[in-house]
Amino acid sequence: MMRRTIPALASMVLLAGCPRQALFVVLPNAEGGGVGAITVEDGKTATILDQPYATAESRAGSTAPTAENQGNISVIFRRAIAAQPILPHHFRLYFILGSPELTPESKIAYRAVFDDTKQRPVYEIEVIGFTDTLGDLTYNQALSLRRAAAIRDTLVRDGLDRQAISIAGRGEHDLLVPTADQTPEPRNRRVEITVR
Amino acid sequence: MGRKKLVLVLCLAAALLITAAGIPSAAEAPPIAQKPIAQIKKVTGQAAVLRSGERRPAKVGDVLFIKDVIETGSDGGIGITFIDNTVFSAGPSSQIALDEFQFDSNDFRGAMLADMRQGTLAVVSGDIARSTPGAMKIKTPTAILGVRGTTFAVQVYGDR
Repeated sequence: MMRRTIPALASMVLLAGCPRQALFVVLPNAEGGGVGAITVEDGKTATILDQPYATAESRAGSTAPTAENQGNISVIFRRAIAAQPILPHHFRLYFILGSPELTPESKIAYRAVFDDTKQRPVYEIEVIGFTDTLGDLTYNQALSLRRAAAIRDTLVRDGLDRQAISIAGRGEHDLLVPTADQTPEPRNRRVEITVR
Repeated sequence: MGRKKLVLVLCLAAALLITAAGIPSAAEAPPIAQKPIAQIKKVTGQAAVLRSGERRPAKVGDVLFIKDVIETGSDGGIGITFIDNTVFSAGPSSQIALDEFQFDSNDFRGAMLADMRQGTLAVVSGDIARSTPGAMKIKTPTAILGVRGTTFAVQVYGDR
């Protein structure tokens, strides 16, 4: 443990060219995602770590898995993890056919987007609009952008910073539910929103 | 021919001098064409951004560009979120250079290389690692980390 808590001054000296080591750790996935995994390559070997709290150490051109206990890992990375900002969150809102107006359910769900921004000291919002395949490409491209713009305008009306919001329209590309052309599909009439 | 060449070289040199003199703030501000790649979301204690050789205090809301170096003091911490939704958070006495970053928000593909020189870093990977396997890398003095999944941490430290 001591070797990893060297004072700042010693760190500066070491930065100038003394032997360096690195410790690599897979952590349990934040907010319940899939399995985390990393590969550590040192020019000779590639070490794969794909279990929570799996660790490897590399020094002087060689890397090997190590058995670091969970308590030590928590101590080593406590401050780095404490500095983690709120993670980006994704939202999906749905629209009435041929319209930039939200469905009644999504009007309620919209509130969660707004509330999420209030949890953050600073925020950026991305809004991407989509349509189903009913209508032609040009019409749908324009409609998807109107949907994104409508959400932005609502957010701005509710007091959020216009400069922090970016919009785009993808028309009937990237369907959430793949369908044939000219198919009405409520789940494809949507905006995807990322707040970070 | 030789003389023409000399004149050309002199002109170029003069042009460079004038350009350099004409833009005194060149070292402070990144070129206008450069797009932000991340935003500072959290700062605790002492944290700084090193850009074009100049060190400035890190502030929540500031944006970061390719080649910026984030640094923390012995009591510092910094959290940043990239435009592909990758999240970095560094603990005390850390230094991490944002060497390379490309991201296409249309297809979510891209590449990232961070140079971790010192300290501790926790990462939750984003769109680049998900859409382009192997495209997100973190370099350390002893090895290169390739990201396959989402959540991990790296510590770079010295021998005693």
